[in-house]
Amino acid sequence: MPVRVAIADYGVGNLHSIRKALENCGASPYIVEDMRELLEAECVVFPGVGAFDKTMERLQPIKSGLVRRLEEGVPSLGICIGAQILFETSEEGRQPGLGFYRGKVVRLKAERVPHMGWNSVRTDDLILRGVGSPYFYFAHSYYGLPSEDIAIGDTDYYGQVPTLFLKNRTYGTQFHPEKSSESGMRFLRNFVKFAEAST
Amino acid sequence: MLTKRIIPCLDVRDGVTVKGVNFVNLQEVGEPPAMASAYEAQGADEIVFLDISASAEGRKTLMHVVESTAERLFVPLTVGGGIRSKEDMRTALNAGADKVSVNTVAVQRPEVISECAQDFGRQCVVVAIDAKREGSSWKVYTHGGRRRTDKDAIEWAAMAQDLGAGEILLTSMDADGTKDGYDLPLTEKVAEEVDIPVIASGGCGNAQHIYEVLSRTGAEAALAASIFHYGELTVKQVKDYLRERGVPVR
Repeated sequence: MPVRVAIADYGVGNLHSIRKALENCGASPYIVEDMRELLEAECVVFPGVGAFDKTMERLQPIKSGLVRRLEEGVPSLGICIGAQILFETSEEGRQPGLGFYRGKVVRLKAERVPHMGWNSVRTDDLILRGVGSPYFYFAHSYYGLPSEDIAIGDTDYYGQVPTLFLKNRTYGTQFHPEKSSESGMRFLRNFVKFAEAST
Repeated sequence: MLTKRIIPCLDVRDGVTVKGVNFVNLQEVGEPPAMASAYEAQGADEIVFLDISASAEGRKTLMHVVESTAERLFVPLTVGGGIRSKEDMRTALNAGADKVSVNTVAVQRPEVISECAQDFGRQCVVVAIDAKREGSSWKVYTHGGRRRTDKDAIEWAAMAQDLGAGEILLTSMDADGTKDGYDLPLTEKVAEEVDIPVIASGGCGNAQHIYEVLSRTGAEAALAASIFHYGELTVKQVKDYLRERGVPVR
């Protein structure tokens, strides 16, 4: 049985690519408009579209239940803004985040912001197993700065920026695997296998 | 290290890719979804669709094309042309665009940049600037290059950034279609002025032109159309050329 992956639809942006990419990687993804359905899901993806406050407005009503699910170890993946909302606060918004990842989201300090384009990710984690060239697509002005030991990969951009996170079974990526061509597909295949093994 | 991006651009009219010189004499060159996928396979870092349809019907066709493209394209897709409001931008994003470029509407109603950035995130908002030299400066043109404005291109780029643009897509109307190379002085001026990424566009005739604009100016990306569409060069060949000369590419 392919793992059923709930993709949270916050009402803005393109979910075609992530849905199709997960399908290609052997999962059975479905789009969830009513956020309460996330609480029943066997695997959750928080896609990388939209802005912090708008996204949190949608998730705020189910916040405590959702965090409980993540703490219980439901396999999940937050992409870009979808990873940032896992943190406690963000300099981008006024709304509090989910607070599942301890730490805050801060503005990039760099000569050019947004950090836009393809950059490499350093990690020992098995989620990048088999990725030939570790270049992934980034498009962000803020990044998560954890205050606990959950950063498992980083990227050089005017200093070292944490770009890959793991806590319990929730991965967070500052990059967009669904926009990262072959490397991204490999990452997502590894994630789907990880989710299958966890459910 | 952040690599420099190579971006094939597809000018799309009524759902078909076309190419012309100085915005006129358009010829059909292929189906956008298949072309986009082929460019991804060659190593393109991103794809841009610019809709140059004259009618509302043509623009509706483009959204179907964007949808079928997004289902099989796994690099970012920027859609522009004919975007007149935040709602148009939402439609394009929901159809499958990752970023949307605004041109004429942003000049007429600059606050649309802020509105879009607030709702969708600034990384989605690309401000496209068509610039033409007048003496020692450049003026902004709108309506697909048909209408001159009094806006200075450099000042406009800075203002667009302050309003919330995530990126500038800068086309030199003087260079566009000539195949004589990018407009290096214009690109350098804009890239110096703003802190957001600048995509250089217009004038690409060979790999050396791409090398020049990426090594001599602050541009983060180079956009090209005809050299790729007519099979003169593949994206991979361009990247090999750049890599041999020390330009970081994926």
